[in-house]
Amino acid sequence: MGGHCLWDGTLSPNDFIASADDLTKKWMAINPNLPQWTWIPCQRMDVSCNAEGYLALENMYQLSASEVNAPTDDENYSAEEAPFDNATLIQSYNDDMHIYDFHIVYSFSYQVPVLYFRGYRCDGHPLHLCDIEKDLPPYSSKIRNESKWTFMTQEEHPYLCCPWYTLHPCGTSDWMKLLLGGDLPSKNPDMLHYLSAWLSVVGQTVGLRIPLELHDKSI
Amino acid sequence: MAESPSTSSSPSSERAGKILQFAPFQSLVDDGFWRRLSSLKLDTLGIDQSPIPITGFYAPCSHAQVSNHMTLLAESLPHDPSLRSSPTEMTRGNRNKCPVPGILYNTNTLESFHALDRESLLKAEAKKILEDIFSGKVEEDSASLSRFLLISFADLKKWSFRYWFAFPALVLDPPATLLNLQPALEAFNLEEAESLSAACNEWRNSSLTADIPFFLVSFASSSHVTLRPLKDWEACQVDGQKLLFGFYDPCHLPNNPGWPLRNFLAFISLRWNMEKICFLCYREKHGLADLGLSLVGEALVSPPQAWRDPQCVPKAVGWELKRGKLAYRTINLAESMDPERLAVSAADLNLKLMRWRTLPSLNLNVLAGVRCLLLGAGTLGCQVARMLMAWGVRKITLLDSGRVAMSNPVRQSLYTFEDCLNGGDLKAVAAARSLKHIFPAVEAEGIKLAIPMPGHPVPAHEADGVLDDCKHLQSLVASHDVIFLLTDTRESRWLPTLFCANLNKIAITAALGFDSYLVMRHGAGPLGCMSDSSNKVEDMSTVVAQVETSLTIGGDKGQRLGCYFCNDVVAPIDSTSNRTLDQQCTVTRPGLAPIASALAAELLVGILHHPNRIHAPGEIATSIMSNSEQPFGILPHQIRGSIPQFSQMTLVGYSSNSCTACSTTVVSEYRRRGMEFILQAINQPTYLEDLTGLTELMKSASSFKLDWDNETDDDADV
Repeated sequence: MGGHCLWDGTLSPNDFIASADDLTKKWMAINPNLPQWTWIPCQRMDVSCNAEGYLALENMYQLSASEVNAPTDDENYSAEEAPFDNATLIQSYNDDMHIYDFHIVYSFSYQVPVLYFRGYRCDGHPLHLCDIEKDLPPYSSKIRNESKWTFMTQEEHPYLCCPWYTLHPCGTSDWMKLLLGGDLPSKNPDMLHYLSAWLSVVGQTVGLRIPLELHDKSI
Repeated sequence: MAESPSTSSSPSSERAGKILQFAPFQSLVDDGFWRRLSSLKLDTLGIDQSPIPITGFYAPCSHAQVSNHMTLLAESLPHDPSLRSSPTEMTRGNRNKCPVPGILYNTNTLESFHALDRESLLKAEAKKILEDIFSGKVEEDSASLSRFLLISFADLKKWSFRYWFAFPALVLDPPATLLNLQPALEAFNLEEAESLSAACNEWRNSSLTADIPFFLVSFASSSHVTLRPLKDWEACQVDGQKLLFGFYDPCHLPNNPGWPLRNFLAFISLRWNMEKICFLCYREKHGLADLGLSLVGEALVSPPQAWRDPQCVPKAVGWELKRGKLAYRTINLAESMDPERLAVSAADLNLKLMRWRTLPSLNLNVLAGVRCLLLGAGTLGCQVARMLMAWGVRKITLLDSGRVAMSNPVRQSLYTFEDCLNGGDLKAVAAARSLKHIFPAVEAEGIKLAIPMPGHPVPAHEADGVLDDCKHLQSLVASHDVIFLLTDTRESRWLPTLFCANLNKIAITAALGFDSYLVMRHGAGPLGCMSDSSNKVEDMSTVVAQVETSLTIGGDKGQRLGCYFCNDVVAPIDSTSNRTLDQQCTVTRPGLAPIASALAAELLVGILHHPNRIHAPGEIATSIMSNSEQPFGILPHQIRGSIPQFSQMTLVGYSSNSCTACSTTVVSEYRRRGMEFILQAINQPTYLEDLTGLTELMKSASSFKLDWDNETDDDADV
């Protein structure tokens, strides 16, 4: 009957906020033991408006693959012996614990969510993409190499104004259209679950362990 | 409250017990801190080396396997460094960010960084802690017990930062001894434990107390637990309650408390004259008090009497170790901070996106590695250079003998008004400079050189200079992969064409008429590749052998495509009476140069991606809109266009055996006689025509002319 309105795979800013809330709750219900998503409202011109913001998942610890840590710092400096203090515990240093932060940010120009992420060592030194790739599980690199939808680049975080890694959003609306709008094009797609669906795909690319239940709309 | 803990094997004597060992603080510096320090240094501080008050942040341990850190963020640095005058100004934190005061000594040179007297800096901070203890400041602002020190050297040219934290701890002599230590769950009964958890969670959830890391835990006799700020000490004494001294413990270890306890114990014993101190190492999980992770213990502390002397400078430890050794740390942020690097990755990103989305066969490495020589830095040279940079080409050499004239900047896109002043800068040099201004990572070089031209005889005293120029040009051709012929005369194109034909280098010509243009790629050279430069004079037999080989090659691959001169039936000296392009034609419609230059660059990209490269056959555009197998489309030989018609066509022309520049005759003669041959061509106007038999050809052509004249009288066929 007439032309049905074909959904183009994008979502509106309001839908993003609603879907973010839904994702946060779902995640809490499924993964209470993992770090949680937090909504960070944004300051624009000193006005904090909850109407704009992003989702943050921070301090995901990841044991890196055993690193034969080639120290990039100059080890020429002759290290002195620490003065003996019997009240100081001698600790084993763990250079191989990496910390990851993930942000889900809405892109006004593409009208889709974009995943920003970064990794760093325990002392705060940022990880380069090649180091991050070593941390990712094998299925993730397979996806990144084979899929024409995934392209990792370094971009300026729109709110924090420093470089983060991101998955380029220009293909997102295309595959979201397939993912959510595929079966019944005439029916309006379920916008509330947009982010959960999106994250279940995108998360795999960056090795974020996404539980299957996230797909389940009954939760 | 269990008075004598059941689980530990505490000796009966109060003085026995092992030495209490504290887990040192670990630092975590977010790269935003370094960014902010860099801009502070560059914009505001300059060479000022005064110490800067900073704020660290930490929170109680929230993970059973990982300790929490003393974290520095961008906001750790003061918003306005003039607030140095009010160091008590503290950043308000939240439950995950307890603010801790610190001080930063950032030096201007590496030498002064190494020259800092670390011992006295540490002692100075320790003295401040001692003073705060006695003055009562700790009760007001307990986080000052954990004040820290940071020394750094920011190398803002290389974007590397050397830094070293110290977490000053007053050293007790004799050291504190541990009487017992156990998980908090085991130290209390169920009721007490529940009440304690509730009290802690309340403390943690209130914005008034969430970021206060030291507190009193008061056990009322009815097992009702409350958390009280340190300044309520007196009030708590009155009730005769059992008191525990609690603090946010960043450490996760089950057998050791974290560093903040060290100064806390010193404070408690000095301020309230206690020797036996019960403490709570508060740790949490998922934002709630975790009494399994948290520890309760009892320590014996006796501070040295000397500390009570106001002049005393206490002994302190606390420099952070790097992998167990006393050494500073370095972080290099050039990749994300150096603007030049950022420009490079942004430009690369653009091309990579192109490759990812539409052109998977785009070979960016080839483009980045190809060495391009541009002969001529005028309207064509400037524009070709820019187009090449847009394609990711990084190695560009420009050659021109002239200076920037006042009329140049409007048409020649690399020059500005400033380049014209004082007689005008050398074009090649100004062009290379301009390329670097646009994109600092380009490897651009400008060379002042006049290309020797045939038919322009040189006086004897200049012969050596011209010879040097020829050799110089030849070596430039040899050391590049692609040569663009972008000069404004026909004659100046001859020598480069010969060199390219001899060395089998990719040559692309662009030439402009008043309102028409030609862009073409030269065919491969006639004799195949030379193993070394052809300055060597060869004997006839070698040349003959090469000619024979080339004929075979020609046979296998089809005929060679022509060069710029192949189509001409005149030698390159006669530019007055024939209507070819380049007739001293420096007046052209402005739109032509950009169009022709863009086409020249696109043509090069096509060649570089073609499997046969210089040997690729010439293709013409067909009216059939076919989905070409080649992702870059067809690879034409010649493109001729005109603006009056807004039209363009692709043509193919084959090499001519009589070509004065690329024919077998000419190239082999050059190989045989080298520079001598070139000089003869330069000095003797008709030499090339004679050599190639063009003279003969013209004679026979004019002999036909008469017949044609007769025939035009007939008005037979039209």
